[in-house]
Amino acid sequence: MRAMTEPSTHSVPAVEPHPGRGLGAPIISVTDLRKQYGSLTAVDGVTFEVAEREVFGILGPNGAGKTTTLEMIEGMRPIDAGEAVIDGVDVKADPREVKRRIGIQLQSSAFFDELTLVELLHLFGRLYERDVDPMALLDLVDLTEKARSQVRTLSGGQKQRFSIASALVNDPRVLFLDEPTTGLDPQARRHLWGLVRTIRDSGHTVVLTTHYMEEAEELCDRVAIMDNGRIIALDTPDRLVDALIGRGFTKDRVERLANLEDVFIDLTGHDLREGD
Amino acid sequence: MRLGMLWALFVASGKMFVRNRVAVFFSIFLPLVIMLIFGVLNFEGSTEIQLGIVDEAGNDASATLVDDLGAYDYLVLTHGTRDDEMAALADGDRDFVLVIPPDWAIPAPGGVTGLVAYASNADPAQAQVAQGLLQQAVGQALFAAPGGGGSAAGVAPPIAFESVESRDLGYIDFLVPGIVGMTIMQLGIFGVAFGFVQLKRTGALRRLFATPTSPSYFLSAQVLSRLIIGLVQVSILFAVGIWFGLQMFGSYLTLFVVVIIGSAIFLAMGFAIAGWAKNEDQAAPVANLISLPMLFLSGVFFPREAMPDFLATITGFLPLTYVIEALRAIVNRGADLLSLGPELLGMAVWVVISFVIAVRLFRWE
Repeated sequence: MRAMTEPSTHSVPAVEPHPGRGLGAPIISVTDLRKQYGSLTAVDGVTFEVAEREVFGILGPNGAGKTTTLEMIEGMRPIDAGEAVIDGVDVKADPREVKRRIGIQLQSSAFFDELTLVELLHLFGRLYERDVDPMALLDLVDLTEKARSQVRTLSGGQKQRFSIASALVNDPRVLFLDEPTTGLDPQARRHLWGLVRTIRDSGHTVVLTTHYMEEAEELCDRVAIMDNGRIIALDTPDRLVDALIGRGFTKDRVERLANLEDVFIDLTGHDLREGD
Repeated sequence: MRLGMLWALFVASGKMFVRNRVAVFFSIFLPLVIMLIFGVLNFEGSTEIQLGIVDEAGNDASATLVDDLGAYDYLVLTHGTRDDEMAALADGDRDFVLVIPPDWAIPAPGGVTGLVAYASNADPAQAQVAQGLLQQAVGQALFAAPGGGGSAAGVAPPIAFESVESRDLGYIDFLVPGIVGMTIMQLGIFGVAFGFVQLKRTGALRRLFATPTSPSYFLSAQVLSRLIIGLVQVSILFAVGIWFGLQMFGSYLTLFVVVIIGSAIFLAMGFAIAGWAKNEDQAAPVANLISLPMLFLSGVFFPREAMPDFLATITGFLPLTYVIEALRAIVNRGADLLSLGPELLGMAVWVVISFVIAVRLFRWE
């Protein structure tokens, strides 16, 4: 079951422009990144590039090394070996400068519970030494009604959205989202997809991890599939699927024109629910 | 130095504290309630008279007199030199100081006794009653003494009283510095340990460090906000204390300096606990283990003099003891920083000890 395609750590397909959208020059370049925890090799020589304005997905089962990879690139975790350069800044040499240029949504998004959303966005703005317009950010993530509420009153989906708003206070060159839709109901997840597209369309580069293949197909220009700390496939979703079919793969059950989630959304509607 | 960043974190951490009901309850409300309870309960209602005896005669006659006075339940005798006893009188620790002059002899019936008693002028109403009681006791002692007898007591008052300027310190004067000490300990240990461990456990700290800020800004903001909150608390406690009759003999500036140094000790202890503990369940027992013994052994509510000698000696080295004794010296005796050498030295040593421990134990995750 291991690697259907050759591990592509050193032969990365070049970034191809997405139809209809102009992708720019590489803004992230990661070379042979490694992380060791005792005898466990969490990240084992990861190499890839992300183009400006691209939405790049990192997929993989739990423990594949997605979050560790992301956190090393973000400057949140020391890099054992290899190199990561974001927007021309070497992460190992100047993690603080990297943090200045990126926005991070952590997998578990916790904030100072006793502060209101507006207060928190102001605070985060100060941490980047910027003046922010909290209401504009909250409007972007559909949380203006909660502006004067404390974070602890938010539901899971609202917290995720606020977390993204907080990651945008510095108008980042790259936005990192670590499992942004885990634990959300289908409505909230779709809503968040819309948000990611809006952010992409406003010219930001997005790197995200996810467990949901549908999400990757919906959002990502290219995906890297990780397992055991290595990238085992990296390409556009379409080409990965084509390649699989090209190897003679057939599904036991032919995909129908709709699936159960489509039924669910059709019956319950697209609207966000109370508390989401 | 990015002041905007520091200021934003300072304001945020102050707001977080004020909006955290548990923290506010334990560090502001609880000390006030304790003070109200102890302030309303009056521990001074006893009819005992603190009588200092300066026996400059040192002969059989004076010994007889002192013996006889010792038989009265309502007289609590203390022996000392004139200087010591007069100082104690001035501090409010004695109600009277009875001086038995050199070569004193028991006077003949109706004769002049030559006894002088110095009386505190702090509470005239109470002094009137106490003077009567003392006159009566001395009169009867002289009457009963061999060679005395007769009806001496009835004829002339046996003692001449002289009023002396003195401070009448009540329990509230003892209590408020103790409560202030307790409060800055609670604020440091509990105010930091729990809030901080919570931020650590939930990952809010990780989120903070996903921004370009540095830990030192966050720590400085936390410390500064706790210091300001501490000073506000101390002011509230003093205001309530003064309403209860607290007398402040020292300067508030000196008081605040000691409050800040004391806070530094307990804030560092709070960060040591918070930095070491993974969650609140680990932090709570340790915080209690450190603070509870001091609450009872550092003389917050009752004087350490009441303890057995060895315990009084050991507890004299506790950080809270140094803080409270310095505070009492300032409030009750008007001490300035120069005269607080031993206490300040003790506090400085504890600041160093707690900082070293905090730095060694501290983990961000």
